[in-house]
Amino acid sequence: MKKYFTKEKWSYAFRTISHPADTYYWIRHQERGSVPIAFIFVFLFSISFSINRISASFVVNDVDPLTVNTLTELISVLLLFILFCISNWSITCLMEGEGRLKDIVTAVGYALVPMIVTFNIGTIFSQFVAQNEGAFYWMIIGVGIAYSVFLALIGIMQMHNYTLGKTLLVILLTFVAMFIIIFVILLFVDLINQVICFFYSIYQELIFRG
Amino acid sequence: MKIKNLATRIAVTLIAVVTVFTGISFGSHAEDLPYDTYNYDYRENIVKTPAAYVPAGSVTGLSSGAGDFKEPEDMCIAPDGKLYVADTGNNRIVVLSENLRDCVKIIDSFEMNGEKQTFGAPKGVCVSQNNQLYIADSNNRRIVVLELDGSFVKIVDNPQSEILEDGFDFVPLKVTVDYADRVYVIVKNAFEGILVFESTGEFTGYYGTIEVKISVWEKFWRRLASKEERAKQQLFIPTEFTGIDVDDDGFIYASNLDSDGIQGVRRLNPQGKDVIQKGENGNVGGDLTIGKYGDYGGPSEFTDVVYRGKGIYSCLDKKRGRIFTYDKEGNLLYVFGGLGTQEGTFVKPVAIECVGSNILVMDSLHNSVMIFEETRYGNLINTAVGLRYDGDETQAIQLWQEVLELDENNELANTGIGKAYLTAGDNKMAMHYLELGMNRNYYSIAYKRYRNEILAENLNWIMTLVIVLIVVWIVYKKFFRSKVKKLIAAKKDEKKNKMVKGGHN
Repeated sequence: MKKYFTKEKWSYAFRTISHPADTYYWIRHQERGSVPIAFIFVFLFSISFSINRISASFVVNDVDPLTVNTLTELISVLLLFILFCISNWSITCLMEGEGRLKDIVTAVGYALVPMIVTFNIGTIFSQFVAQNEGAFYWMIIGVGIAYSVFLALIGIMQMHNYTLGKTLLVILLTFVAMFIIIFVILLFVDLINQVICFFYSIYQELIFRG
Repeated sequence: MKIKNLATRIAVTLIAVVTVFTGISFGSHAEDLPYDTYNYDYRENIVKTPAAYVPAGSVTGLSSGAGDFKEPEDMCIAPDGKLYVADTGNNRIVVLSENLRDCVKIIDSFEMNGEKQTFGAPKGVCVSQNNQLYIADSNNRRIVVLELDGSFVKIVDNPQSEILEDGFDFVPLKVTVDYADRVYVIVKNAFEGILVFESTGEFTGYYGTIEVKISVWEKFWRRLASKEERAKQQLFIPTEFTGIDVDDDGFIYASNLDSDGIQGVRRLNPQGKDVIQKGENGNVGGDLTIGKYGDYGGPSEFTDVVYRGKGIYSCLDKKRGRIFTYDKEGNLLYVFGGLGTQEGTFVKPVAIECVGSNILVMDSLHNSVMIFEETRYGNLINTAVGLRYDGDETQAIQLWQEVLELDENNELANTGIGKAYLTAGDNKMAMHYLELGMNRNYYSIAYKRYRNEILAENLNWIMTLVIVLIVVWIVYKKFFRSKVKKLIAAKKDEKKNKMVKGGHN
C-alpha cells in the first residue's frame, strides 16, 4: 500500500499542473504515477462539485440545494470516470495506443486537479460577489474546466504517444464507445430481466398447478 | 366497573385517532374551502398558502327576483355600483342593485326610430365611464348603445374597410369601452385581433394582433411537404382573444388562449402593442406545473380578465376554474377557486368582475354569480401591493410583516420587507430578507452597500496591518536574511557531517 503514496508520487501528481507533457511522459515510462491517488482526486472532485452546487452563493447559483445528493453525484462521477477510462482503453488498444488502463486512469484522474482547486475557490469567492461581478466567478470556474480538459488531452496524448489530431479523433471515438457500452449494458439488463421473468412465470405456473 | 373504564378509554383513543387522521381542525378557515389555495415559489414548486378569497354566497336570477338566468355570458359593474348581467339565453340584460341581492331593472328591448327592437343572444355587456350601456347583440350582429335608463343612443354595426375580407361576419362576443368612448370588440372567428370603433361608430382597424409562432421544426416539415400536402395541413392561425377589460389609463387588458401556457393575458397600449410586464419566471399564463393529458391537464385557459386597480388584475381559468391574480410587475399574488358543484366552485366559469374588495365570477352552467370576499391575508397583500404601486414601499413593511405571520415563506413579502430595509439603510437585514425572497437584483445592491460599509469601518486597521507587514519584510530582508541563510546552511552541513560519520560506523 505504501508504495502508492510515496512523496515522489504525490509530487508528480501535482507537477502535472505545471509541466503536463513532461510529467505525463515520466509517469508513463518510469512508473511515477499512482492509481489510488488518481481515485482520490476523482473523489475530491466529486465532493467539491457537490459542495459548489450546494453552497455557492445564491447570487450565482440557481441550483436548488434540496435537489443535490452528494452520494448519487459521487457514484455517477465515479461511474462516468470508469466508463470513460474503459472506453478510451478499448479504443486505444485497437489504435496502437501505448498506454495501459492504469496509465489512462492516472492521466484522467490527475487532470481533475485544476477543477478541484477552482471549484473550491469559486465556492468561497462566490460568497463575496454581487450580481454584476458574477462574471469573475464564472471565469474562475471556466478556467478550471478548460485547464482540466487541456490536461486530460495532453495526458492521453502522452500516454499513448499520439499526435494531437489522433488524440482528438480518439477522444471522439471514446465518446462513441461510451454510448455503445451503455447501450450494450441496457440491452443486457433487459434480456436478463426477461429471462428472469420467464423462469419466474414457470415457477408460478408450477406453484399454482401443483 | 373496570370494563366500563376500558370502554371509555378506547372510545377516547378512537376519537383522537379519527381526529388526527381526518385532519378535522376547529376554527380553521382554509380547511372548509372547496378549493386549493396556493402559489408558486421561485423554483416553481407549489406552496400552499392561506386563502386570499373565500366564497361569500352567490346570486341567481331567482334569488334576485328577475327569474332564472339562462346561460349568462358576461357581466359588468357600472360606475354607480350596479351589476349588469348579459342574460344571453333569455335575450335580456338584468340590472342588479349595489348589494347584488335585488333585481333593479330588466332591459329586454329598446325603441329605435319608434320601432321596438329586441336582443338576439347578447353575449357581452359593458358600461362606459360616461354611463352608457354597450351591449354585444351577437345574433343580430350589432352593438347596441343605450342610456342607463334604457333609451336608445346609437348602433355600431357592419364595419366597412378594405382590410376586412368579403362576407365578413360581424358576430360580437365581448365589448369594452375606454374613457374616450372608443369601442373594443372581440368578434367571433376574427383572428386578426380586436376590432376598434371610434365613438362615432366608424371602424378604425384591428388592434393587438397576436403574432403566430412557428417553430423551426414545423417550418422544416412544411418545406418538405408538397403543395397538396400543405393545403391539407392545419393552418397556423393566431389564438383568439377571450375576454377584455380596460384600465384607468385606457390600456386594454385582454385574455387569450395560449397553448404554451406562458402568456394568457395581454396589456395593450393605445397602439395595440403588448406592454405587459412579466415577473421573474416570465410567465403570466396561470399554472406552471401541469399534467399533460386528460380534461384536467394542459395549460390554463384564461377566459376573462378584470383590472382591479393599482396594477392588480385577475384572470379566470376555465380549464381548472381557478382565479390567478397578478400585480403590475407580473408577480403571481395568489390563486383560488376550482371546479366543482360546491359553493365557491364552478362548472363553466365565463366572466369575472370586481366590485370593491369582492370578486364576482359568473358560472354559465349554474346560471349564477359567485361572490368571493377577501380574507385578512388577501387584504394585506392587496394593500401592500397597492402601496408599492404608489411608491410607498416603506409603509408597506408593517403589512408584509403581517403577511409573513400568516404565510412565512411568502417571497413577495420577504422581498417587500427587504426593499424597505434597503431604503431605510439597514443593509444586513435587507440582505437577509432579500435572500429569503430570492431576489438576486436587490440582494446584490444590498450586499454591495454592506460590503462597502464593512470595508470603510475596518479600513484603518487593515491598512495599518499592511504597512506593518511591509516594514517587517523590509527589515527582515535588510538585516536578518543573510544571517538566517547562514544558519540554515550551517545546520545542513552539520547534518551531512553526522550522516557521514554514521556511515563510517
